Amino acid sequence: MNFKLKLIYPKWQKLKGQTTFNLPPHGPVAFAATLPDWVEVSFTDENVETIDFEEECDGVALSMMLSTQVKRGWEIADEYHKRGKLVFAGGISTMLHAEEMVNHVDSVFLGESEGRMEQVMLDWTRGELKKLYNFMGNMPPIESVGPCRRDLYKRELYNHKGVQMVDLFHASRGCRFSCYPCAVSYLGGRCFRPRPIDKVVEDMAGIENNRLFIVDNSLAQNKEWEKELFRAIAPLKKKWISHTIEDDPEVLDLAAKAGAWYVYQAVYDTSDYIRERVKRYHDYGIGVEGTILLGLDNQTADDCKRLIDFLGEIDLDLAEFTVLTPFPHTKVYDDLLRQGRIFDFDWNHYNAGQVVFQPKKMTPDELQDIYEYAWKNFYKDESQEQKMFRLFCNVALREMEEGTYRPRDRKLANKSFGRDVVRNIKK
Amino acid sequence: MKVSPEYYDEIFSFKGEWDMPSTCGLKIRRSCGKVFVIVTELYQDNPGTSVTYAGQKLAEQICQAKGLEMSAITYVECNPDTNSKLSFYDEEYFQVDFNADLQHRYRQMDRAEVEKMLQG
Repeated sequence: MNFKLKLIYPKWQKLKGQTTFNLPPHGPVAFAATLPDWVEVSFTDENVETIDFEEECDGVALSMMLSTQVKRGWEIADEYHKRGKLVFAGGISTMLHAEEMVNHVDSVFLGESEGRMEQVMLDWTRGELKKLYNFMGNMPPIESVGPCRRDLYKRELYNHKGVQMVDLFHASRGCRFSCYPCAVSYLGGRCFRPRPIDKVVEDMAGIENNRLFIVDNSLAQNKEWEKELFRAIAPLKKKWISHTIEDDPEVLDLAAKAGAWYVYQAVYDTSDYIRERVKRYHDYGIGVEGTILLGLDNQTADDCKRLIDFLGEIDLDLAEFTVLTPFPHTKVYDDLLRQGRIFDFDWNHYNAGQVVFQPKKMTPDELQDIYEYAWKNFYKDESQEQKMFRLFCNVALREMEEGTYRPRDRKLANKSFGRDVVRNIKK
Repeated sequence: MKVSPEYYDEIFSFKGEWDMPSTCGLKIRRSCGKVFVIVTELYQDNPGTSVTYAGQKLAEQICQAKGLEMSAITYVECNPDTNSKLSFYDEEYFQVDFNADLQHRYRQMDRAEVEKMLQG
Protein backbone atom coordinates (compact mmCIF):
# COMPACT_ATOMS: atom_id res chain seq x y z
CA MET A 1 0.00 0.00 0.00
CA ASN A 2 1.23 3.50 -0.79
CA PHE A 3 -0.33 6.93 -0.36
CA LYS A 4 1.31 10.20 -1.32
CA LEU A 5 0.31 12.96 1.07
CA LYS A 6 1.00 16.61 0.36
CA LEU A 7 1.56 18.27 3.74
CA ILE A 8 1.28 22.07 3.79
CA TYR A 9 1.99 24.72 6.40
CA PRO A 10 0.12 27.82 5.12
CA LYS A 11 1.74 31.23 5.09
CA TRP A 12 0.57 34.23 7.07
CA GLN A 13 1.10 37.95 6.88
CA LYS A 14 4.10 38.88 9.04
CA LEU A 15 3.87 41.86 11.35
CA LYS A 16 5.10 45.03 9.73
CA GLY A 17 8.21 46.69 11.09
CA GLN A 18 9.51 43.55 12.76
CA THR A 19 12.45 41.40 11.76
CA THR A 20 11.12 38.24 10.13
CA PHE A 21 12.72 34.98 11.14
CA ASN A 22 11.24 31.81 9.70
CA LEU A 23 11.80 28.91 12.05
CA PRO A 24 11.27 25.32 10.89
CA PRO A 25 7.70 24.63 12.00
CA HIS A 26 7.15 21.99 14.63
CA GLY A 27 3.52 20.96 14.14
CA PRO A 28 3.79 19.49 10.63
CA VAL A 29 6.82 17.34 11.42
CA ALA A 30 5.34 16.18 14.73
CA PHE A 31 2.19 15.20 12.82
CA ALA A 32 4.19 13.51 10.02
CA ALA A 33 5.94 11.35 12.62
CA THR A 34 2.58 9.81 13.52
CA LEU A 35 1.77 8.70 9.96
CA PRO A 36 2.15 5.03 9.02
CA ASP A 37 5.25 4.02 7.04
CA TRP A 38 3.28 3.47 3.85
CA VAL A 39 2.38 7.15 3.64
CA GLU A 40 4.90 9.11 1.59
CA VAL A 41 5.03 12.75 2.64
CA SER A 42 5.99 15.80 0.58
CA PHE A 43 6.17 18.90 2.78
CA THR A 44 5.82 22.56 1.80
CA ASP A 45 6.16 25.43 4.24
CA GLU A 46 4.49 28.23 2.31
CA ASN A 47 6.30 30.85 4.39
CA VAL A 48 9.55 30.01 2.64
CA GLU A 49 8.50 28.42 -0.66
CA THR A 50 5.65 28.39 -3.18
CA ILE A 51 3.06 25.63 -3.31
CA ASP A 52 3.07 23.63 -6.53
CA PHE A 53 -0.63 22.80 -6.78
CA GLU A 54 0.09 20.51 -9.73
CA GLU A 55 2.44 18.25 -7.74
CA GLU A 56 1.11 14.71 -7.90
CA CYS A 57 -0.49 13.52 -4.66
CA ASP A 58 -3.29 11.31 -3.37
CA GLY A 59 -4.47 13.80 -0.77
CA VAL A 60 -3.61 17.00 1.09
CA ALA A 61 -3.09 17.72 4.78
CA LEU A 62 -3.01 21.23 6.24
CA SER A 63 -1.14 21.77 9.48
CA MET A 64 -1.95 25.11 11.09
CA MET A 65 -0.80 26.73 14.29
CA LEU A 66 -1.91 30.36 14.10
CA SER A 67 -5.31 31.98 13.71
CA THR A 68 -3.73 34.05 10.93
CA GLN A 69 -3.16 30.84 8.93
CA VAL A 70 -6.71 29.53 8.82
CA LYS A 71 -8.14 31.71 6.07
CA ARG A 72 -5.13 31.02 3.86
CA GLY A 73 -5.62 27.33 4.66
CA TRP A 74 -9.19 27.57 3.37
CA GLU A 75 -7.96 29.21 0.13
CA ILE A 76 -5.48 26.37 -0.33
CA ALA A 77 -8.25 23.84 0.30
CA ASP A 78 -10.35 25.55 -2.40
CA GLU A 79 -7.48 25.25 -4.89
CA TYR A 80 -7.11 21.53 -4.22
CA HIS A 81 -10.86 20.97 -4.36
CA LYS A 82 -10.79 22.40 -7.91
CA ARG A 83 -8.28 19.64 -8.69
CA GLY A 84 -10.47 16.96 -7.12
CA LYS A 85 -8.28 16.37 -4.05
CA LEU A 86 -9.55 15.78 -0.53
CA VAL A 87 -8.16 18.04 2.19
CA PHE A 88 -7.56 17.05 5.80
CA ALA A 89 -6.73 19.63 8.52
CA GLY A 90 -5.23 19.50 11.98
CA GLY A 91 -3.12 21.50 14.41
CA ILE A 92 -3.68 24.18 17.03
CA SER A 93 -5.66 26.68 14.97
CA THR A 94 -7.71 23.91 13.38
CA MET A 95 -8.80 23.04 16.91
CA LEU A 96 -9.45 26.66 17.90
CA HIS A 97 -11.49 27.37 14.75
CA ALA A 98 -12.94 23.89 14.23
CA GLU A 99 -16.55 25.03 13.88
CA GLU A 100 -15.64 27.01 10.77
CA MET A 101 -12.96 24.60 9.59
CA VAL A 102 -15.47 21.81 9.00
CA ASN A 103 -17.11 24.00 6.35
CA HIS A 104 -13.92 24.39 4.32
CA VAL A 105 -12.10 21.05 4.38
CA ASP A 106 -13.13 17.43 3.92
CA SER A 107 -11.88 16.14 7.24
CA VAL A 108 -10.94 17.78 10.54
CA PHE A 109 -8.72 16.19 13.16
CA LEU A 110 -9.08 17.41 16.74
CA GLY A 111 -6.59 16.38 19.40
CA GLU A 112 -3.15 14.80 19.34
CA SER A 113 -2.37 12.40 16.49
CA GLU A 114 -0.04 9.83 18.09
CA GLY A 115 -1.48 6.35 17.60
CA ARG A 116 -4.45 7.63 15.57
CA MET A 117 -3.22 8.19 12.04
CA GLU A 118 -3.00 4.57 10.89
CA GLN A 119 -6.81 4.34 11.16
CA VAL A 120 -7.37 7.75 9.57
CA MET A 121 -5.16 6.88 6.61
CA LEU A 122 -6.80 3.49 6.19
CA ASP A 123 -10.19 5.23 6.12
CA TRP A 124 -8.85 7.62 3.50
CA THR A 125 -7.49 4.89 1.21
CA ARG A 126 -10.82 3.05 1.45
CA GLY A 127 -12.75 6.17 0.51
CA GLU A 128 -14.19 6.36 4.01
CA LEU A 129 -12.50 9.48 5.35
CA LYS A 130 -14.68 10.89 8.13
CA LYS A 131 -15.69 14.53 8.35
CA LEU A 132 -14.46 14.68 11.92
CA TYR A 133 -11.90 12.75 13.98
CA ASN A 134 -12.50 13.96 17.48
CA PHE A 135 -9.94 13.11 20.16
CA MET A 136 -10.44 16.24 22.26
CA GLY A 137 -9.76 15.50 25.90
CA ASN A 138 -8.54 12.02 24.99
CA MET A 139 -4.77 12.37 25.11
CA PRO A 140 -2.52 9.58 23.85
CA PRO A 141 0.09 8.24 26.29
CA ILE A 142 2.88 10.81 26.51
CA GLU A 143 5.39 7.96 26.03
CA SER A 144 4.05 7.55 22.49
CA VAL A 145 5.37 10.97 21.45
CA GLY A 146 8.41 10.19 19.34
CA PRO A 147 11.00 12.15 17.37
CA CYS A 148 9.65 14.54 14.74
CA ARG A 149 10.16 13.94 10.99
CA ARG A 150 12.82 16.67 10.70
CA ASP A 151 14.09 14.96 7.56
CA LEU A 152 11.17 16.67 5.78
CA TYR A 153 12.69 20.14 6.23
CA LYS A 154 14.49 21.75 3.35
CA ARG A 155 17.20 22.97 5.69
CA GLU A 156 18.65 25.64 3.44
CA LEU A 157 15.36 27.53 3.64
CA TYR A 158 15.66 28.02 7.41
CA ASN A 159 18.92 29.84 7.17
CA HIS A 160 19.67 33.56 7.42
CA LYS A 161 22.96 34.65 5.82
CA GLY A 162 24.52 31.27 6.54
CA VAL A 163 23.24 30.98 10.12
CA GLN A 164 20.95 28.03 10.74
CA MET A 165 17.75 28.83 12.64
CA VAL A 166 16.94 27.02 15.88
CA ASP A 167 14.99 23.76 15.79
CA LEU A 168 11.79 23.60 17.81
CA PHE A 169 11.50 20.86 20.39
CA HIS A 170 8.99 19.84 23.03
CA ALA A 171 9.80 18.11 26.30
CA SER A 172 6.22 18.09 27.59
CA ARG A 173 2.62 18.77 26.63
CA GLY A 174 -0.32 20.31 28.47
CA CYS A 175 -0.17 22.99 31.10
CA ARG A 176 -1.35 23.06 34.69
CA PHE A 177 -1.86 26.81 34.49
CA SER A 178 -4.79 28.31 32.64
CA CYS A 179 -3.72 31.86 32.02
CA TYR A 180 -6.12 34.58 30.97
CA PRO A 181 -5.10 34.98 27.31
CA CYS A 182 -3.96 31.39 26.65
CA ALA A 183 -5.75 28.42 25.04
CA VAL A 184 -3.19 25.73 25.85
CA SER A 185 -5.19 24.21 28.67
CA TYR A 186 -8.10 23.79 26.22
CA LEU A 187 -5.87 22.31 23.54
CA GLY A 188 -3.46 20.13 25.47
CA GLY A 189 -5.31 19.59 28.71
CA ARG A 190 -5.06 21.31 32.06
CA CYS A 191 -2.53 18.75 33.17
CA PHE A 192 1.22 18.92 32.76
CA ARG A 193 2.37 15.85 30.82
CA PRO A 194 6.15 15.58 30.80
CA ARG A 195 7.79 13.25 28.31
CA PRO A 196 10.00 10.54 29.81
CA ILE A 197 13.47 12.00 30.27
CA ASP A 198 15.25 9.21 28.37
CA LYS A 199 12.99 9.84 25.35
CA VAL A 200 13.69 13.57 25.52
CA VAL A 201 17.45 12.99 25.58
CA GLU A 202 17.34 10.49 22.72
CA ASP A 203 15.15 12.80 20.64
CA MET A 204 17.23 15.90 21.35
CA ALA A 205 20.52 14.11 20.65
CA GLY A 206 19.25 13.13 17.21
CA ILE A 207 18.66 16.70 16.04
CA GLU A 208 21.25 18.00 13.59
CA ASN A 209 21.31 21.41 15.22
CA ASN A 210 23.13 22.65 18.31
CA ARG A 211 20.58 25.37 18.93
CA LEU A 212 17.03 24.63 19.93
CA PHE A 213 13.87 26.34 21.12
CA ILE A 214 12.14 24.23 23.76
CA VAL A 215 8.60 25.36 23.01
CA ASP A 216 6.85 23.97 26.10
CA ASN A 217 4.55 26.59 27.58
CA SER A 218 6.48 26.80 30.78
CA LEU A 219 9.22 24.60 32.13
CA ALA A 220 8.32 25.79 35.63
CA GLN A 221 5.61 23.20 36.22
CA ASN A 222 7.33 20.47 38.17
CA LYS A 223 10.58 21.36 39.87
CA GLU A 224 11.92 17.83 40.26
CA TRP A 225 11.22 16.95 36.61
CA GLU A 226 12.78 20.23 35.54
CA LYS A 227 15.98 19.52 37.51
CA GLU A 228 16.15 15.98 36.19
CA LEU A 229 15.64 17.25 32.64
CA PHE A 230 18.46 19.80 32.91
CA ARG A 231 20.88 17.27 34.40
CA ALA A 232 20.07 14.80 31.62
CA ILE A 233 20.43 17.17 28.67
CA ALA A 234 23.58 18.96 29.91
CA PRO A 235 25.99 16.41 28.35
CA LEU A 236 24.44 17.08 24.90
CA LYS A 237 25.93 20.60 25.03
CA LYS A 238 22.99 22.04 23.09
CA LYS A 239 22.13 25.69 23.55
CA TRP A 240 18.45 26.47 23.89
CA ILE A 241 15.76 29.07 24.26
CA SER A 242 12.68 28.40 26.38
CA HIS A 243 9.78 29.98 28.16
CA THR A 244 9.88 30.58 31.91
CA ILE A 245 12.25 28.58 34.11
CA GLU A 246 11.57 28.07 37.84
CA ASP A 247 12.78 30.98 39.95
CA ASP A 248 15.05 28.90 42.14
CA PRO A 249 18.85 29.18 42.41
CA GLU A 250 19.45 25.45 42.04
CA VAL A 251 17.17 25.17 39.00
CA LEU A 252 18.65 28.27 37.34
CA ASP A 253 22.16 26.94 37.93
CA LEU A 254 21.25 23.57 36.41
CA ALA A 255 19.53 25.30 33.49
CA ALA A 256 22.61 27.39 32.76
CA LYS A 257 24.82 24.30 32.86
CA ALA A 258 22.34 22.51 30.58
CA GLY A 259 22.72 25.22 27.92
CA ALA A 260 19.98 27.77 28.65
CA TRP A 261 20.68 30.56 26.17
CA TYR A 262 17.80 32.92 26.79
CA VAL A 263 14.23 32.73 28.09
CA TYR A 264 10.94 34.44 27.36
CA GLN A 265 9.81 36.08 30.57
CA ALA A 266 6.52 37.92 31.00
CA VAL A 267 7.01 41.49 32.22
CA TYR A 268 3.60 42.52 33.49
CA ASP A 269 4.36 45.30 35.96
CA THR A 270 7.10 47.63 37.17
CA SER A 271 7.74 45.85 40.45
CA ASP A 272 11.04 45.04 42.12
CA TYR A 273 10.05 41.40 41.74
CA ILE A 274 10.29 41.69 37.94
CA ARG A 275 13.54 43.65 38.20
CA GLU A 276 15.05 40.97 40.45
CA ARG A 277 13.66 38.13 38.33
CA VAL A 278 15.46 39.46 35.24
CA LYS A 279 18.62 40.06 37.24
CA ARG A 280 18.61 36.50 38.60
CA TYR A 281 18.50 35.06 35.06
CA HIS A 282 21.41 37.31 34.09
CA ASP A 283 23.37 36.29 37.21
CA TYR A 284 23.39 32.77 35.78
CA GLY A 285 24.35 33.92 32.29
CA ILE A 286 20.86 33.40 30.87
CA GLY A 287 19.55 36.11 28.55
CA VAL A 288 16.01 37.47 28.83
CA GLU A 289 13.50 38.38 26.16
CA GLY A 290 10.69 40.21 27.91
CA THR A 291 7.18 39.50 26.67
CA ILE A 292 4.90 42.43 27.27
CA LEU A 293 1.15 42.18 26.85
CA LEU A 294 -0.60 45.50 26.29
CA GLY A 295 -4.29 46.30 26.62
CA LEU A 296 -5.34 44.52 29.81
CA ASP A 297 -8.37 45.98 31.53
CA ASN A 298 -6.37 47.43 34.41
CA GLN A 299 -4.02 49.35 32.09
CA THR A 300 -4.41 52.98 31.12
CA ALA A 301 -2.36 54.47 28.31
CA ASP A 302 -0.05 55.99 30.94
CA ASP A 303 0.35 52.62 32.69
CA CYS A 304 1.46 51.09 29.40
CA LYS A 305 3.95 53.87 28.80
CA ARG A 306 5.35 53.51 32.32
CA LEU A 307 5.77 49.78 31.70
CA ILE A 308 7.55 50.45 28.41
CA ASP A 309 9.88 52.98 30.06
CA PHE A 310 10.59 50.49 32.86
CA LEU A 311 12.01 48.03 30.32
CA GLY A 312 14.95 50.36 29.79
CA GLU A 313 15.82 50.05 33.49
CA ILE A 314 15.90 46.28 33.74
CA ASP A 315 18.45 45.47 31.07
CA LEU A 316 16.33 43.17 28.91
CA ASP A 317 18.21 41.59 26.03
CA LEU A 318 15.15 41.63 23.78
CA ALA A 319 11.49 42.54 24.11
CA GLU A 320 8.41 41.36 22.30
CA PHE A 321 5.21 43.37 22.50
CA THR A 322 1.75 42.05 21.82
CA VAL A 323 -1.73 43.46 22.18
CA LEU A 324 -4.28 41.43 24.06
CA THR A 325 -6.06 39.20 21.53
CA PRO A 326 -9.22 37.22 22.28
CA PHE A 327 -8.35 33.89 20.72
CA PRO A 328 -11.28 31.45 20.85
CA HIS A 329 -11.35 29.11 23.85
CA THR A 330 -9.59 31.54 26.18
CA LYS A 331 -11.02 33.34 29.15
CA VAL A 332 -10.32 36.67 27.53
CA TYR A 333 -12.52 35.63 24.58
CA ASP A 334 -15.37 34.68 26.91
CA ASP A 335 -15.07 37.89 28.90
CA LEU A 336 -14.84 40.26 25.96
CA LEU A 337 -17.58 38.44 24.08
CA ARG A 338 -19.96 38.72 27.05
CA GLN A 339 -19.13 42.39 27.36
CA GLY A 340 -19.76 43.00 23.64
CA ARG A 341 -16.23 44.36 23.22
CA ILE A 342 -14.95 42.28 20.30
CA PHE A 343 -15.50 44.33 17.12
CA ASP A 344 -13.40 42.35 14.65
CA PHE A 345 -13.78 38.63 13.94
CA ASP A 346 -11.50 38.54 10.90
CA TRP A 347 -8.98 35.86 11.90
CA ASN A 348 -6.33 37.42 9.65
CA HIS A 349 -6.26 40.28 12.12
CA TYR A 350 -5.67 38.00 15.13
CA ASN A 351 -1.89 38.42 14.93
CA ALA A 352 -1.44 39.96 18.39
CA GLY A 353 -0.31 43.16 16.73
CA GLN A 354 -3.69 44.51 15.70
CA VAL A 355 -6.36 45.67 18.14
CA VAL A 356 -9.60 43.73 17.58
CA PHE A 357 -11.44 44.68 20.76
CA GLN A 358 -12.48 47.72 22.75
CA PRO A 359 -9.96 48.22 25.60
CA LYS A 360 -11.41 49.26 28.94
CA LYS A 361 -9.34 52.34 29.72
CA MET A 362 -8.34 53.64 26.29
CA THR A 363 -9.58 53.68 22.73
CA PRO A 364 -8.56 51.00 20.23
CA ASP A 365 -6.52 53.62 18.34
CA GLU A 366 -4.70 54.66 21.51
CA LEU A 367 -3.79 51.03 22.22
CA GLN A 368 -2.63 50.56 18.63
CA ASP A 369 -0.44 53.68 18.93
CA ILE A 370 1.01 52.46 22.23
CA TYR A 371 1.85 49.10 20.68
CA GLU A 372 3.72 50.80 17.86
CA TYR A 373 5.41 53.22 20.27
CA ALA A 374 6.57 50.26 22.39
CA TRP A 375 8.43 48.59 19.52
CA LYS A 376 9.95 51.84 18.33
CA ASN A 377 10.96 53.00 21.79
CA PHE A 378 12.58 49.76 22.91
CA TYR A 379 14.60 49.38 19.72
CA LYS A 380 15.38 53.07 19.15
CA ASP A 381 19.09 52.87 20.00
CA GLU A 382 19.80 49.36 18.81
CA SER A 383 17.66 47.47 16.30
CA GLN A 384 16.04 44.11 16.96
CA GLU A 385 18.51 42.49 14.56
CA GLN A 386 21.48 44.11 16.35
CA LYS A 387 20.26 42.98 19.76
CA MET A 388 19.72 39.48 18.41
CA PHE A 389 23.24 39.54 17.01
CA ARG A 390 24.58 40.29 20.49
CA LEU A 391 22.72 37.31 21.92
CA PHE A 392 24.02 35.25 19.02
CA CYS A 393 27.60 36.31 19.83
CA ASN A 394 27.09 35.24 23.46
CA VAL A 395 26.04 31.77 22.44
CA ALA A 396 28.76 31.46 19.79
CA LEU A 397 31.42 32.30 22.41
CA ARG A 398 30.04 29.66 24.76
CA GLU A 399 30.03 27.13 21.95
CA MET A 400 33.63 27.98 21.07
CA GLU A 401 34.65 27.39 24.67
CA GLU A 402 32.92 24.01 24.59
CA GLY A 403 34.18 23.05 21.11
CA THR A 404 30.67 22.79 19.64
CA TYR A 405 30.66 25.95 17.51
CA ARG A 406 29.80 25.44 13.84
CA PRO A 407 30.85 28.31 11.58
CA ARG A 408 28.13 29.72 9.39
CA ASP A 409 27.61 28.16 6.00
CA ARG A 410 29.47 30.46 3.58
CA LYS A 411 27.56 29.03 0.61
CA LEU A 412 24.38 30.51 2.07
CA ALA A 413 25.87 33.85 3.16
CA ASN A 414 23.93 35.68 0.47
CA LYS A 415 20.64 33.96 1.17
CA SER A 416 17.95 34.68 3.71
CA PHE A 417 15.26 32.01 4.02
CA GLY A 418 15.83 30.89 0.45
CA ARG A 419 15.78 34.37 -1.05
CA ASP A 420 18.72 36.48 -2.24
CA VAL A 421 19.96 39.03 0.28
CA VAL A 422 19.79 42.58 -1.03
CA ARG A 423 22.72 44.49 0.36
CA ASN A 424 22.86 48.28 0.50
CA ILE A 425 26.53 48.71 -0.32
CA LYS A 426 27.38 52.19 -1.60
CA LYS A 427 29.80 52.23 -4.52
CA MET B 1 -8.31 29.57 41.27
CA LYS B 2 -10.70 27.44 43.30
CA VAL B 3 -14.32 28.52 43.06
CA SER B 4 -16.21 28.75 46.34
CA PRO B 5 -19.06 26.19 46.68
CA GLU B 6 -21.28 29.12 47.69
CA TYR B 7 -21.63 29.78 43.98
CA TYR B 8 -23.48 26.58 43.23
CA ASP B 9 -25.90 23.98 44.58
CA GLU B 10 -24.51 21.23 42.43
CA ILE B 11 -21.76 20.43 39.95
CA PHE B 12 -23.34 19.82 36.57
CA SER B 13 -21.52 17.58 34.08
CA PHE B 14 -22.12 18.34 30.43
CA LYS B 15 -20.83 17.59 26.96
CA GLY B 16 -18.84 20.59 25.84
CA GLU B 17 -17.51 21.54 22.46
CA TRP B 18 -16.87 18.38 20.44
CA ASP B 19 -18.38 16.37 23.31
CA MET B 20 -15.53 17.17 25.66
CA PRO B 21 -16.41 16.15 29.25
CA SER B 22 -17.00 19.47 31.01
CA THR B 23 -18.40 20.71 34.31
CA CYS B 24 -19.98 23.86 35.69
CA GLY B 25 -21.61 25.04 38.88
CA LEU B 26 -25.42 25.13 38.76
CA LYS B 27 -28.10 26.92 40.75
CA ILE B 28 -31.75 27.13 39.84
CA ARG B 29 -33.76 29.89 41.51
CA ARG B 30 -37.42 30.85 41.20
CA SER B 31 -37.92 34.54 41.74
CA CYS B 32 -40.39 37.24 40.55
CA GLY B 33 -42.26 34.63 38.52
CA LYS B 34 -39.13 33.61 36.62
CA VAL B 35 -36.95 30.51 36.63
CA PHE B 36 -33.29 31.56 36.75
CA VAL B 37 -30.77 28.96 35.61
CA ILE B 38 -27.39 30.16 36.88
CA VAL B 39 -24.27 28.47 35.52
CA THR B 40 -20.89 29.21 37.08
CA GLU B 41 -17.51 28.75 35.42
CA LEU B 42 -15.33 26.44 37.54
CA TYR B 43 -11.95 27.24 35.90
CA GLN B 44 -9.42 24.64 37.10
CA ASP B 45 -12.20 22.20 38.01
CA ASN B 46 -13.69 22.33 34.53
CA PRO B 47 -11.61 20.03 32.33
CA GLY B 48 -13.43 20.96 29.12
CA THR B 49 -15.31 23.81 27.50
CA SER B 50 -16.05 27.06 29.32
CA VAL B 51 -19.67 27.87 30.10
CA THR B 52 -19.56 30.86 27.75
CA TYR B 53 -18.19 28.87 24.84
CA ALA B 54 -20.64 26.03 25.47
CA GLY B 55 -23.46 28.60 25.51
CA GLN B 56 -26.79 27.33 24.23
CA LYS B 57 -25.64 23.69 24.09
CA LEU B 58 -25.13 23.82 27.85
CA ALA B 59 -28.46 25.54 28.46
CA GLU B 60 -30.23 22.84 26.45
CA GLN B 61 -28.50 20.04 28.36
CA ILE B 62 -29.52 21.59 31.68
CA CYS B 63 -33.11 22.00 30.56
CA GLN B 64 -33.24 18.41 29.40
CA ALA B 65 -31.73 17.10 32.64
CA LYS B 66 -33.97 19.23 34.86
CA GLY B 67 -37.21 18.99 32.88
CA LEU B 68 -37.29 22.70 32.03
CA GLU B 69 -38.42 24.46 28.86
CA MET B 70 -35.76 26.60 27.19
CA SER B 71 -38.35 29.25 26.43
CA ALA B 72 -39.40 29.42 30.07
CA ILE B 73 -36.02 30.04 31.70
CA THR B 74 -33.87 33.09 32.29
CA TYR B 75 -30.34 31.93 31.66
CA VAL B 76 -27.49 33.54 33.60
CA GLU B 77 -23.74 33.02 33.39
CA CYS B 78 -21.67 33.72 36.48
CA ASN B 79 -18.02 34.66 36.38
CA PRO B 80 -17.19 33.87 40.03
CA ASP B 81 -14.89 35.78 42.34
CA THR B 82 -11.79 33.66 42.91
CA ASN B 83 -10.00 35.98 45.34
CA SER B 84 -7.47 36.71 42.63
CA LYS B 85 -5.62 40.03 42.49
CA LEU B 86 -6.48 40.11 38.80
CA SER B 87 -9.56 42.16 37.96
CA PHE B 88 -10.81 39.72 35.34
CA TYR B 89 -11.49 37.14 38.04
CA ASP B 90 -13.92 39.40 39.90
CA GLU B 91 -17.55 38.38 40.29
CA GLU B 92 -19.88 39.22 37.38
CA TYR B 93 -23.32 37.97 36.32
CA PHE B 94 -24.61 38.11 32.74
CA GLN B 95 -28.11 37.41 31.52
CA VAL B 96 -27.93 35.62 28.18
CA ASP B 97 -30.35 35.95 25.27
CA PHE B 98 -29.51 33.21 22.78
CA ASN B 99 -31.79 34.76 20.17
CA ALA B 100 -29.70 37.91 19.98
CA ASP B 101 -26.57 38.34 17.83
CA LEU B 102 -23.16 37.89 19.43
CA GLN B 103 -22.68 41.58 20.18
CA HIS B 104 -25.97 41.82 22.06
CA ARG B 105 -26.31 38.38 23.57
CA TYR B 106 -25.03 39.25 27.05
CA ARG B 107 -26.30 41.84 29.50
CA GLN B 108 -24.37 42.42 32.69
CA MET B 109 -26.68 42.38 35.72
CA ASP B 110 -26.32 44.96 38.45
CA ARG B 111 -25.86 44.10 42.11
CA ALA B 112 -29.51 44.66 43.09
CA GLU B 113 -30.76 42.40 40.30
CA VAL B 114 -28.33 39.67 41.30
CA GLU B 115 -29.33 39.85 44.96
CA LYS B 116 -33.01 39.71 44.10
CA MET B 117 -32.42 36.72 41.84
CA LEU B 118 -30.41 34.83 44.44
CA GLN B 119 -32.89 35.49 47.24
CA GLY B 120 -35.60 33.68 45.31
